[in-house]
Amino acid sequence: MTISTERTSALPTATPDGRPLPLAGVRVVDFTWIVAGPQATRILADFGADVIKVENESHLDSVRMGGSPADDAARFNSSGLFNNLNRNKRSLTINLFHPRGRELLEELIAGADAVTENFSPGAFERMGFGWDRLRELNPNIIYMSLSGFGHLGRDSSYVTWGPTAQAISGLTYLSGLPDQPPAGWGYSYLDHSAGYYGAIGLMLALRKRSREGGPLRVDLSQAETGMVMTGAQMLDAQVNNRPSQRSGNLLPYPEIAPHNTYRCAGEDRWIALAVETDDHWAALCDVLGADALASDPRFGTNSGRVEAREELDAAIDALTRGWDTRELMYALQARGVPAGVAQTTEDKMELDPQLAARGFYPRADHPILGEHRFESLPFQLSRFGWHLRRGAPLLGEHSDDVLAELGCDEDEIARLREELAI
Amino acid sequence: MSTGAEGLRIIEIGDLGEVAGKLLADAGADVIRVEPPNGAPARRIGPFPGDRPDTNSSLHWAHFNTSKRGITLDIETADGLALWWRLVDGADAVIDAAGHGVLDAAGAGWDEAARRYDGKSLTWCSVTPFGREGPWADWASNDLIQIALGGPMMSTGYDDHELPPIRGGYDHSLWMGGEYAAISILGATAGFEAGLADGPELVDLSIHECVSCTVEGAFPNWEYDGRLVQRQTGRHSSPDPTPAWQFPSADGHYMNVIGGGLPRSEQGLADVLDWMESLGQVGDLRDPKYTEAIHASPMSPNADRRHFAEAIQHFIGTLDAEDSYRGAQGLHQPWAIVRAPEENLDDPHWTDRGTFAEVEVPGHPEPVRVPTAPYRFDGVTRQVRRRAPMLGEHNREVYVTELGLSDAEILRLAQIEVV
Repeated sequence: MTISTERTSALPTATPDGRPLPLAGVRVVDFTWIVAGPQATRILADFGADVIKVENESHLDSVRMGGSPADDAARFNSSGLFNNLNRNKRSLTINLFHPRGRELLEELIAGADAVTENFSPGAFERMGFGWDRLRELNPNIIYMSLSGFGHLGRDSSYVTWGPTAQAISGLTYLSGLPDQPPAGWGYSYLDHSAGYYGAIGLMLALRKRSREGGPLRVDLSQAETGMVMTGAQMLDAQVNNRPSQRSGNLLPYPEIAPHNTYRCAGEDRWIALAVETDDHWAALCDVLGADALASDPRFGTNSGRVEAREELDAAIDALTRGWDTRELMYALQARGVPAGVAQTTEDKMELDPQLAARGFYPRADHPILGEHRFESLPFQLSRFGWHLRRGAPLLGEHSDDVLAELGCDEDEIARLREELAI
Repeated sequence: MSTGAEGLRIIEIGDLGEVAGKLLADAGADVIRVEPPNGAPARRIGPFPGDRPDTNSSLHWAHFNTSKRGITLDIETADGLALWWRLVDGADAVIDAAGHGVLDAAGAGWDEAARRYDGKSLTWCSVTPFGREGPWADWASNDLIQIALGGPMMSTGYDDHELPPIRGGYDHSLWMGGEYAAISILGATAGFEAGLADGPELVDLSIHECVSCTVEGAFPNWEYDGRLVQRQTGRHSSPDPTPAWQFPSADGHYMNVIGGGLPRSEQGLADVLDWMESLGQVGDLRDPKYTEAIHASPMSPNADRRHFAEAIQHFIGTLDAEDSYRGAQGLHQPWAIVRAPEENLDDPHWTDRGTFAEVEVPGHPEPVRVPTAPYRFDGVTRQVRRRAPMLGEHNREVYVTELGLSDAEILRLAQIEVV
């Protein structure tokens, strides 16, 4: 069965240079908040989908308040993290306890392609949007939930933040030095990843629906997002009965040496480098001026270097300490040796010529925050495009537009505003 | 019931795109992985069953190549190049992860594809370490280098900055790159299937950029406040030091208790205090000043808050991890065991969800379980459709049955090591 879904859009359908946005005309009613859900719908919005972020007083996206607001008007609109995560979206505030407010929201869902949320399981249903109600409103709807443990399963009520999901999934355990506690990840990595898988899941669902029809429910678990990335370690545990282990910055498979992060000159400056071949080894020794290491026959082969790994790491660390980290990186890369500065955000945004050359930090304006840089989608397209059209919406910025599209006239919108329905 | 990628035919070559191929193959696409006749380098990545290296039994390969078909082809021969284009002729997408410029040098790359497929709905997804252009386009890298350059490393590690910043486990630049490659292919496919543009489409993906945009708060801290985050043990990096939230349990595990385990609501506080009291450990925490303390900022140097967190740390130290995990989650507190990956294999919750699929691994007598992608479509059993391919396993199926070569021709090509 093929169901044609005609796409119409209130938003631009192409980039300023005329390349079509591949999801133009797809409409997403987006109840997601914090990071994971907004990361998923940001990708859809970057591709041109009309993502309408729905908020109200009882569920305001708390990331809105991440900055240090100078005044009350800025209170909900001063967060840089929010700006980066919610660019290209529209904002609708609507009061679910007002009968007409709820009715209009239901009309919006009835005309949408997808509804997304990342509340704790059960919360969306308590708001009156259980699966039965959603498909009653729209028999062709795609409903995607992102939650810690997923909606199905014994422990579905368990709650996670990014670090919680990272801990249970195995990611935290695998990160760090073998003789130290787990280092984990220094941020909510799985909020990003759950967003990436959310975008993949939603695009798969759109395609499935176009072939088989709807409605369609997608249940994503953030913890599973981390688990799928640990498959090789899980297999090793089952096949070889070998428990997973941390190995710091070493490479256990295939085991090569040197392969580590070494201290450079300056405060807390480090360089990562990997010697994959004997040529890399010779070049590394040459750049570092380590003639004694270069001529030592014990280190002429990878197996010899692996055997002497700790001795070599100490010797290299003593030499790299005298180097500026960027100068050493350029010297090693010029000789073909894999080497990279452990870059700070300042390094990436101010000193990384590759990111600069590819326009990785495009700029857009925001009425309160002013013009700022954003993180690009990490690829460039040719026939199609993606487009940083604008920063994140102010709270309720598009309520009037969206209601007008639903057929409300100016008088009704004014009345609804007076009655605190929007 | 399908999982969304049925009917897509995708040709994958090179090691850097194998996550994208896996995700799309597990979702129903026909992904054909093209390897040189002696096998892709990824086949040599361990571990192996019994630590005996073998072309077909790499456990890395087993996980990163589920549901794909595998064929061999030397594209650097005239016969191989001709076959390559016959393969691409019928494809919806190519995942070109063979290395920057490698396919173009062989006449098998995007430049030639752009000429051949003008107007066709083909997505050519170029997955390279740094992108196809730019001053670093030819640089050498691996996962360690990518995690360093992209920023995750400087956010990850220990309070003690004499210890190095940390890579964060294994292969995550491959995951980030592969996830975004799948996103780009599905996006372009959606555009083609909606008739929005004529192809072919070139996706120029940079793994450096995929990693660089996966850093959460480090970006706005610099862009908006001019501050750099500092790595801390087992918790979020931050411009200013924050209290610990990873504590040892009685049975030698670690517990992750974001925010130091302090409840965020008065109800949560009451529940946790009742739980502690039932185990005789509530101490002086019923004092109303602690109700005030839970509302103080986690960043604030609030002495009551610190005292409460120390009591939680002590409490966790008296319990087995499983007990504190289940106990706290039963009270809707976001506490978790820092589990090793394999400790999830027997958790009934994942069994309920069908998280794991069984596959064979050549060289191991029993089927093993692999975790599957985290989206679950209603009514669809998540499945890995087949184990990762053995070297050249589908040569005959693809070359003879589908492309129409004769058995004699395949034999000839095998003898001259084209396949």
